[in-house]
Amino acid sequence: MIHFKDVSYTYGAEEGQLPIRAVDHVSFHVKKGSHVALLGRNGSGKSTIARLINGLLLPDEGSVLVNGMDTTDSLDIFEIRRICGMVFQNPDNQLIGATVADDIAFGPCNLELPIDEVNARVDEALRSSGLTALRDRAPHNLSGGQKQKLAIASILAMEPECIILDEATSMLDPMSRRSVMELILELKEKSDISIVQITHHMEEAVLADYVYVISDGSIVLEGTPAEVFDQFERVRAEGLSVPVHIEIARRIADTTDTYYRPEDIFSFEGAVSFVRGVIESRTSSESTGDLDAGYEIGERRGVDNASQDLDRERVIEISNLSFDYVSDAGEPVRALEDVSFSVEKGEILGILGHTGSGKSTLIQHINGIIPSKKGTVVVLGRDLSDRKTVRDIRRHVGLLFQYPEDQLFEETVALDIAFAPKQLNRTPKEVERAVLSAARRLGVESILHRSPFELSGGQRRRVAIAGVLAAEPDIIMMDEPAAGLDPSGRDELFSDLVTLVDEGATLLIVSHDMETMACLCDRILILNNGKVAGYGTPREMTSSADFLQSVSLDIPSSKRFLNCFVDLFPGLDTNCYTAEEAACALLRAVAEG
Amino acid sequence: MKSRSMLGRSVPGTSLIHRLDARVKFIGAIVLMVATLSARDVRILAVFLLWTITVMLISRIKLKLIMRSVRPLLFIIIFATLLHLFTVEGHVILQLGTIKVTREGLISGGMTALRLVLMVVNTSLFLTLTTTPLAIADALESLLSPLRHLRFPVHEFAMMMSIALRFVPTLLDEADKIMKAQSSRGADYDTGGPLRRIRGLVSILVPLFISSFRRADDLAVAMEARCYRGGVARTRLHTLKLSVIDVIFSVILIILLLLVIVVEPYLPPLIAV
Repeated sequence: MIHFKDVSYTYGAEEGQLPIRAVDHVSFHVKKGSHVALLGRNGSGKSTIARLINGLLLPDEGSVLVNGMDTTDSLDIFEIRRICGMVFQNPDNQLIGATVADDIAFGPCNLELPIDEVNARVDEALRSSGLTALRDRAPHNLSGGQKQKLAIASILAMEPECIILDEATSMLDPMSRRSVMELILELKEKSDISIVQITHHMEEAVLADYVYVISDGSIVLEGTPAEVFDQFERVRAEGLSVPVHIEIARRIADTTDTYYRPEDIFSFEGAVSFVRGVIESRTSSESTGDLDAGYEIGERRGVDNASQDLDRERVIEISNLSFDYVSDAGEPVRALEDVSFSVEKGEILGILGHTGSGKSTLIQHINGIIPSKKGTVVVLGRDLSDRKTVRDIRRHVGLLFQYPEDQLFEETVALDIAFAPKQLNRTPKEVERAVLSAARRLGVESILHRSPFELSGGQRRRVAIAGVLAAEPDIIMMDEPAAGLDPSGRDELFSDLVTLVDEGATLLIVSHDMETMACLCDRILILNNGKVAGYGTPREMTSSADFLQSVSLDIPSSKRFLNCFVDLFPGLDTNCYTAEEAACALLRAVAEG
Repeated sequence: MKSRSMLGRSVPGTSLIHRLDARVKFIGAIVLMVATLSARDVRILAVFLLWTITVMLISRIKLKLIMRSVRPLLFIIIFATLLHLFTVEGHVILQLGTIKVTREGLISGGMTALRLVLMVVNTSLFLTLTTTPLAIADALESLLSPLRHLRFPVHEFAMMMSIALRFVPTLLDEADKIMKAQSSRGADYDTGGPLRRIRGLVSILVPLFISSFRRADDLAVAMEARCYRGGVARTRLHTLKLSVIDVIFSVILIILLLLVIVVEPYLPPLIAV
């Protein structure tokens, strides 16, 4: 139903800026009722393609046809937009109505339908998206996931033939993301709706019928998800991630020269049984000297390091901290209950938990933004119950909120980074030094003179982080530093963060992502409904899949895979965090036993 | 997360006052404001006091909340009262040095206070406390619709108002978050000289403005994607309908207004101020 014929689109041709060819001679089609994923890193042009589908942008070359209608035909454009509804990335910036029902009614009202029809469609859309109970709720009282479901419902009310999801889950936490995907799949089953999903999350791409990988405005790879992810090196080269089980199976297949079909190893179970097959055939036959994939699982922080530490100075001590507040609806909420833990100098502590488990509330106590009412907070030896200490503490404790780029306000990057040291009354020379040092660490020294508002999202985030580092705090706390970043952006950021700690700072990172945190952190604190559910090394915290599920966290994928082989190799170290390491561990186990 | 619902301080309820048409309440509040401020005779004011107390009882809103709405204007009320108290000439009852308090001043001051309080309470009862901001926006759109013929963009105006109202809590949350973020960077909003505090304000306002512009952009695109093309033939979602209670209320209002305009001038003087 959607046809792209040799479409190109260039940005910035008018304003005298350097024109950017965002879409370069792209041709593809989407059949009615199919689910297509456009996968690509940030800036690859996939969002531009999405806006070309429903005519929000018009192609410079080529043509876009929807059900035979051309998007450049102004008479048809509204019908095209009714047929192809779009859900945008920012949940808030697409909700117009004062209540859920009002927002859903917005579309049908635009279509000039009679009021009874509008009301009927609103009821139906509420039912399909499971939001009936929320019909009179105001948008600001909805969670991120609920907002995106509302956006979907608002489109359903216009009876579309296709739903375009433009990175609709990028700003959501994993649980909300899954919930939204469940709704999408449900809609796909119940009706003939086509889905075009623009994303950089492979967990979503694997659900599609067909995948196009976009890079620099062109399609570089296409096929069924099984075919595409089979070419894992190419996918990785595009800064995207590949399902771990596929990569493990592929590596083992390559090393042992075993024949396989992409569809066999596509599912988790398929990959496991394939590898079992390979192992069983190997152990029953010849030598295994050639199995060494040549990769050493080297010294890596995060697995065992913490346990070897001598008694180091405690920089943060939290004892019996509790926090209550009254929600908008007037109900009392217990955000934190009897939380106690300590942090050692130079440590990387991961604070994990489901949305609403109290993680953000907890770190806001540590730099005094939230005054502690019940329990004690002692930072660098000072008790924060004294308000005067709090102001002083801010010199030593830096806090980075989620989406910190929202806080940028100065005319140049340099001035913005200088804000914190200036507020701390440092001399101009010290300020300059601090700014340069922070900028260098985050890789933004080349853009110090530019305005923060003309930079890309990833650059702005780095500038914001540099702004906090410039105060040279002893303790740095970050709330989901990689929120909204694509896989390569996330990896780059975390590798830069680790160097900070090597320079003596203590790091606290709040996250949902057990996979990354398990590699990165010395210790992990798990919060569940405001209470401490677990506190220990990553190895200890990831040892039980049931436990992790009970606190709504995911077990690292490679561990989940290796857990399926402990019956064959009881001594197998399942704490390998990349697919490469896991594959090696298995091959080594086969070689040895 | 935590948003202060400052706007939309309306108290939900099902009283007669809540059920009145928002347009009637809007015009009624204006009429009452004019009427109470114009009343000079103490007997007329007594009628208005009776009326206000009746409305308070019908609306079933707690006295505490009603009084809270008076609080912002308390300063002006006290100031105006004191002004009358100390400047009106007449029969002196109290003297402290050069400051004289006359009997006429006392009465005049008392009446002023009463007028102002009645005005505020009536406005709150009919508008702020019993009508949601959105209902007021709908009322305004309906009342202004004749201006369409004078090329006034009534629909656009109403759309802007309702979108703005919808985003107020979101903006408050965002301002809160930005303030916390800048505080964490050492920004001080409580202490420091005026220059420092202004610079502090800049660190909140600039990001808010930037994000608001971006938001407006995104919203416009989202509205287009949902086939919005202006309000000419758009289906009206909330249609306001007048009912019996609206008619009764309007009649009472007209009577009150007539009391002030027509009856008062012909009343035998009691204590006219």
